[in-house]
Amino acid sequence: MIEKIEESPLFKMVNPESIAFFGASNNFAAMGTNMLSSLMALGFPGRIYPVHPKEETVRGLAAYKSVADLPEAPDLAVIVLPTRLVIQTMEECGKKGVKTAIVITAGFREKGEEGAAEEKKLWDVARKYGIRFLGPNCIGATNLHAKLNTTFMRAEGSPGGIGFASQSGSFVTQMFNYLARFGTGFSTAFSVGNAADVDLIDCIEYLGACPHTKVIGMYVEGIRRGREFVALCREVVRKKPIVALYVGGSKTGRRASLSHTGTLAGPDKLYDGIFRQAGVLRARSVDEMFDICRAFCSLPLPAGNAIAIQTHSGGPGTVAADACGRAGLSVPDFSAQTAERLSEFVPSTGSLANPVDITYSKNPESFFSAIPEALLADPGIHMLLVYYLVPNAMVESPLRRMGLSDGDAAEAARSWLDNQAGAIAALMEKSKKPVAGFTFRGIMEQFPQALMARGIPVFPGPERAVAALAGMVRYRRFRERIELAARARG
Amino acid sequence: MTPEEIINRALSQGRDRLSEHESKELLAAFGVPVCREVLARTPEEAAASAATLGFPVAVKACGAEISHKSEQSLVALSLKTEPEVREAAARLLDADGADSVIVAEMVSGSRELLLGLVRDLQFGPCVMAGAGGVLTEVLDDVAFRMAPTARPDIEDMLDSLACRPMLSAFRGQAAADRDALADVVAAIGKVAEAFPQVSEIDVNPVIITKSGQIVAVDALVVLERSAPAVAGKISGKQS
Repeated sequence: MIEKIEESPLFKMVNPESIAFFGASNNFAAMGTNMLSSLMALGFPGRIYPVHPKEETVRGLAAYKSVADLPEAPDLAVIVLPTRLVIQTMEECGKKGVKTAIVITAGFREKGEEGAAEEKKLWDVARKYGIRFLGPNCIGATNLHAKLNTTFMRAEGSPGGIGFASQSGSFVTQMFNYLARFGTGFSTAFSVGNAADVDLIDCIEYLGACPHTKVIGMYVEGIRRGREFVALCREVVRKKPIVALYVGGSKTGRRASLSHTGTLAGPDKLYDGIFRQAGVLRARSVDEMFDICRAFCSLPLPAGNAIAIQTHSGGPGTVAADACGRAGLSVPDFSAQTAERLSEFVPSTGSLANPVDITYSKNPESFFSAIPEALLADPGIHMLLVYYLVPNAMVESPLRRMGLSDGDAAEAARSWLDNQAGAIAALMEKSKKPVAGFTFRGIMEQFPQALMARGIPVFPGPERAVAALAGMVRYRRFRERIELAARARG
Repeated sequence: MTPEEIINRALSQGRDRLSEHESKELLAAFGVPVCREVLARTPEEAAASAATLGFPVAVKACGAEISHKSEQSLVALSLKTEPEVREAAARLLDADGADSVIVAEMVSGSRELLLGLVRDLQFGPCVMAGAGGVLTEVLDDVAFRMAPTARPDIEDMLDSLACRPMLSAFRGQAAADRDALADVVAAIGKVAEAFPQVSEIDVNPVIITKSGQIVAVDALVVLERSAPAVAGKISGKQS
C-alpha cells in the first residue's frame, strides 16, 4: 500500500497538468468531441492539446497534426480513436514521453480472440514505454477536485468524498446526477473497462491514499489478482471503508465438481466470504452502495450499535425500529434522565420510549433542537435517526395566518427550515454521534437539501437509512476483526 | 503412511481422489479429529476389528472410486454384534469398486457440519464451513474464506452461518468445542498450502457430539490428476 497519492502510477492520470486528446474534432456528434466538451465545460485548468490530422483548431483550441508536434510531453493521453489506430497512437505517445493514457476505444478483448491479441499488443507497447493506461473499452476517469472529466457526460454537483472504481462506465457517468441530488459527489472515479493494465486494485490503492476520498465504492463483476486484492483491502480499510456492489455470481452458476464443497462454491458465496475477510462491506443494490458511501462521507463513525429513533408519526417510526432489529442495530430504552428531559417536550399522547414519538409538538422547534439534543446526550445512544415530514407549505400556512404575505411567508419558512437544519447539524458536531434522516417526500425539497448540505444524510424511506447506518456499524466491527486477524497472523 | 506417500500412491495409480480411509488418514496427520476406524479386507477381519473397537460400529464400503455412499446403500450403521458385522462386510465387499470395508466407531450426535476446501482461480485455496449432512445442498448454508485463515476470520465465518445457533448449547447438548472446530478449519487450509496436488476437500459430516466434541466421520480429498508427485519431505503434522 502507498502512503502518498503521488506514489501512485495513476497520479498523473487523474491530476494531469496537460492532456493530449485524440479523437475530438469539430463534429459535434463524435464521442471524442463530447468528451472534450465535458472536460472544457468543467473548466479544466491545465493545457489541452487536441491531436487531429486535418483540423487547425478543435473546439477553439489549437490542434496538432501529431503528438510528436506537441510543445511538451503531456501528462495524459486520452484516446477515442477507431480501434485500428489505437496501438500506433500508443506507440507515438510512448516516443513522445507520455506516461499515462486513457483508452476509451472498444473492440479489444470483449470482441473475442482476435481482439484479445490486439489488446495484448497494446499492453506490450505501453509496457515498452512505461505507460500506465486505463481501458480499453472504458468510459474514462473523473477527478472533480482537479476539474478533470474525460467522460462524455457532463459532470454535475460539487466534488465529494466518494472514490469509485467501476467495471461499468455507467456507474460513473450516470451517477453524477444521482449523487448531486443527494448533495454529494465523487472525489475521483475510474471506469476500468477491460482493465488490460490498470485494474480495480490499482484504483483502490490510489483512492486509499487520496486525501479527498473518505470512502471507496466499487462496482465488481469479477476480480483478478484475488490475493493481492485481499491483502490491499485489509490495509486500506484500516484507514477508510470500502463498499462493494458485486454482481455476476448468480448467473455464472456453479462448477461441476466431485465434492460438495466444489458444488457449493458458487462465486456469489465465495465473494461474499472473501469481501468480509478483506474488510469490504458488500452492498445489496446500487442504492445501498451509494447510501452507505454517503453516510461515510459526512458522518462520524458510531461508537456502537444503539440507535435512537425520533418521529412524529407512529408507523414510520415502528418500521424504522423493525428495520433496525433485522439489521443488527439495537433500539434500547433511554436513560431515566433522558426520559425526564423528553417529558417536557413530548405531549401525553406521545411516547417516551424508543422510538420516541412526539405526535404533535407543543413547540415545533423542539423537534429540531431540544429533543435531538436530549437523545444525543444519552450515554447509551450511539446514533440518531429522525423521520422528517416538513414540507415548506406546512410551515408557511401558520405564517400566512399570522398575516404574512405569500412571498414573505415563503421566505420566512425557508429561513426557518434552514435554521432548523443548522441546529441539527450543530448538535451532531457537538455530540460526535451520527445523525441521519429519512423521508417519504421528495429529496429535492428544501429541508432535506438543507440537511444534506450540512452533512446530515437524508434517505428515501427508513429501510435505506437503517441499512446505511448499519453499514457504518459493520465497518467498525470489520476493522476491529481485521486488526485482530493481522495480530493473529503475526 | 505419511501424507506424501498417500498422495503419491494415488497419483501414481492415476486416481483423482483418495479413498475415504486415505482421506481421513491425511487429515488426521494435520490434526483433524477423525473417528476411530480400521480398514478390513475380509468379513472375519471386519468382525474382529469391530470387537476391538467396541460395539456398536458402522461398516462402510471403501475404494478409490467410491463416493456418495449413503445414496447407494454402501453404509451399514449401528451394528451391535459380530455376525451382523460379518454379514454387512460380506455384502459391502461385493459392491462395485469396493476393495475393503471401513469398520468405524459409531459417533452419535444430531448436529452435522460440512467443512471443506476448494481452489479458486483468482483467490487460491478457500476453506468452507456450513450445515452438513445429507441436506447440505438443500440448505445451502455455507461460508467461505481464503486460506490461510486467521482465527478471527474463522470465528466470523462460523458466526455468519444461519445454523450458528447449533454451535451453542442446543436441546440438552453442550456447546460445540469452538477451539477444536476452528482448528479443523485451519488444518484444512494447511493441507491445501502443503499440497498443491489437493484440489478439493469435503469433510462431511463433521459431527458435534452431545458433549460438544468435534469428530470427522467421513471425508473426501480430491486430487489434481495431472499434478506432479510430492517431492522431498513435507512434514505432515503442522502446528
